[in-house]
Amino acid sequence: MSEVRALIVDDSSVMRKIVERALRQAGLDALVVHEAATGAEGLEVLKTKPVDLILSDINMPTMDGLEFLRQIRAQHLAEGVPVVMITTESSEEHVKQAIQAGARGYIRKPFTAEQVKERVLPLVQAA
Amino acid sequence: MLLNGVRAAAVAGRAGTRFRGGAEEREQTMAVSLRESVERVSDPRNLDASVEEVFRLMLAIECKREAGLAVADMESVTAVVGFGGVLSGACVFRSGAGTAIKIAARMTGMEFEDIDNTVKDGIGEICNMLAGAWKGKVPELAANCGLSVPAVITGRDYNLHVQAPEFQLHHGYRFGEEIFEVTIVCDGLQ
Repeated sequence: MSEVRALIVDDSSVMRKIVERALRQAGLDALVVHEAATGAEGLEVLKTKPVDLILSDINMPTMDGLEFLRQIRAQHLAEGVPVVMITTESSEEHVKQAIQAGARGYIRKPFTAEQVKERVLPLVQAA
Repeated sequence: MLLNGVRAAAVAGRAGTRFRGGAEEREQTMAVSLRESVERVSDPRNLDASVEEVFRLMLAIECKREAGLAVADMESVTAVVGFGGVLSGACVFRSGAGTAIKIAARMTGMEFEDIDNTVKDGIGEICNMLAGAWKGKVPELAANCGLSVPAVITGRDYNLHVQAPEFQLHHGYRFGEEIFEVTIVCDGLQ
């Protein structure tokens, strides 16, 4: 697979590393990772760097993942780029809100590398 | 000593402060009552299943609950995630420094010599996932109970104290030679 540029947004640096490792285990060897600790930081990254995939936590201080998603759409950033939410929030309501805000996938923490592969790889391959 | 993060989280939940989980979530909480379901919410099996799930999936560690386990009074790491909404209280993870380092090393693939910010971040995230997995076992909680940002405390000779909780689950777990404690404290249930 050709180079994939991913933006990983999570307030936990450890979690960002775990998501990156899971992406590599999923077969995305040629991976270029940009990191952001909040939704606001994620928006700044998207204004300056092209990406092919966005993975975002929901529960973050300052700007949560759902607002981050809404702002991506409102500011016409990363148009057509798939966004996958990775979060501890697992209710139907949260999934519904994420899909309504534009998410293409949803992975609940804790997760396995296999789950990341199943839900992220098809989106990257289709893009 | 009172852990301020726990009280602050609980009070904030009652007052309607926005927790991680969204303002929309707060608006929904008013219509849901868990008062008559306290046995279901406090089912100890939910906590055991949550701990086993988080450690198995994120760390590839099989851990088991054991009666009578307690983290000794030594340098320890405590992570607290507050609950707000239909349930107020906290999920508390506590282990010795050595166990916290081993868990963080397993999470990150890195080696640590002491409790640095990465170890604290990792333990905070474990506590966050434990809190999320536990509330996810009860659908009304999953949708109507928000989580605070994790707070991590290190040191020795400190105790968790909550006055007259609605219920409290305090379990000890073991993997290999390592032990840790997970506590769910509920001091308000709508």
